[in-house]
Amino acid sequence: MEDRGAGFESELELELDEGSIVARAQDGDLAAFEQLVIAYQDRLFRLAYRMLNDRGEAEDVVQDALTAAWRGLPMLQDVRAFGGWAYRLATNRCLDLLRKRSAHPETITDLEDLRSATEFRATYGPGGSDPAYEAETAARQDSLTTLLNTLPPEQRACWLLREMHGRSYAEIGATLKISQSAVRGRLARARHEIAEGMSEWR
Amino acid sequence: MSEQPVQGQVITSQLIASLAARTALETPGVLRLEPTIQGFLARLGPAALQNLRNPGSQNGTYRHDGVTATISDGTARIHLDIATDIAYTALNVAETVKHRVRESISHTGLTPGRVDISILAIEPQPRTKLS
Amino acid sequence: MAVDDVPRLGCGRSIDRIWATIDQPPSPHEEKCEQCQSARERLKKLTEATRSLRESDLHNTSLKPRLSVKNAIMNVARAEIRRSRRIALHGKENGTTEISEQALSSVIRFAATAIPGIHARRCHIEIRSGGNDPSGEDRPSGNTATAANEGAHLIINLRVAAAPSVEIPRTVDSLRQRISNAITACVGISAGTINITVEDLYDV
Repeated sequence: MEDRGAGFESELELELDEGSIVARAQDGDLAAFEQLVIAYQDRLFRLAYRMLNDRGEAEDVVQDALTAAWRGLPMLQDVRAFGGWAYRLATNRCLDLLRKRSAHPETITDLEDLRSATEFRATYGPGGSDPAYEAETAARQDSLTTLLNTLPPEQRACWLLREMHGRSYAEIGATLKISQSAVRGRLARARHEIAEGMSEWR
Repeated sequence: MSEQPVQGQVITSQLIASLAARTALETPGVLRLEPTIQGFLARLGPAALQNLRNPGSQNGTYRHDGVTATISDGTARIHLDIATDIAYTALNVAETVKHRVRESISHTGLTPGRVDISILAIEPQPRTKLS
Repeated sequence: MAVDDVPRLGCGRSIDRIWATIDQPPSPHEEKCEQCQSARERLKKLTEATRSLRESDLHNTSLKPRLSVKNAIMNVARAEIRRSRRIALHGKENGTTEISEQALSSVIRFAATAIPGIHARRCHIEIRSGGNDPSGEDRPSGNTATAANEGAHLIINLRVAAAPSVEIPRTVDSLRQRISNAITACVGISAGTINITVEDLYDV
């Protein structure tokens, strides 16, 4: 399939602020929208993958969320709100999918995917050439992701949005339709559960 | 169904659409038809020949990927959706396309009617960096 | 269910409070309290594991969507963009020429890239018809306006973000000139009125 999106090469070299890129995309500028897709697709995929543990479903979430973002763009009041809104669209799709899954509990996670992510991780890391350090890091990450998957979906979303993606309490609250103090409560609970679990792991 | 041979052959609206598309794409300053014309031309290669051998109805409208051709009582009307190169003056490009399309239609024996053009995009030529 | 309940240790301290000061030396209470010390220990391990997972996910090339995802999104965007407004430029006997607001906007934005310290944002274009045709449009093609009528002209409303350092009046003047030249050169019509609004300052 040919790609006609990258027409404005000389303009793409210009580093635009995100607000200007969003404003242009609101006017239907495809090159600008493509920049937003490139900027957000990986982040949203990482969120969705850690929520769903399924590559295909995570890709569907990214596609649905960013397609919905394109359609809703003209209605967005504040260009600075795009990021939070994109995260909200993706998070809510993940939660919807998990609700459907719990109604059909035969769905299982993509073990092949989990394995490949783990293998990659084992060879990557700040430890560099120290195999013991790498093994230690990999084990710690494994126990973290395993414990993460035992949390209720909304608590997991809270934790991922805050700890993996650095989103604000206000934004997370708006996404989950709860107060900021409820966000703090859920985060504290999630951290507590995971920390307890990790200490039992060894 | 009025199958009147024109110069011994029936010209279909699909063939006229292909002719108009090719003519437009050969005009300097036209980057492409909107949306993709590539698939259309690929499919049209053998199909166009097929149409000459098995002529269909002469009257009718054919619409595909940025080009619409309507033949009515020996007159062909065209609508083209194009993207032009920002290095050219879009309005002049459109006038040249009209002129050329009308000329190539007249070679088929049909009467060239209106050629309407929508300029849907103006962009720098890909891979040619403007300084 | 009390979701707002913050978990507490036996000594009464909340996990939240320990978390908030995890990067600082232990408080006098924490130094003496065994429960606080082990909670700090556990949370520190969690912090490290969190950072390490964040880093490795970020650099994990297998944790990215395939190219087909972006293509599918862009195909939808492309297919739906055709609804943008059209402006008629010419209405001669051998056929009309119209231009999408989209195409005009891209010429305007492209012109703006030549002005340092300016980022073009939203652009809205109107057609004001001349006095000779008060009813407006004689064409049945819906929301198409005509720019080539006698006296009719474009009204371009462009919103921009400026770098904090630019001298706005002079920059806006040269931007206006640049846009005017570009519309003439790239489209072949005169630009009419160009309204520029500086709506934001962007960080450099």
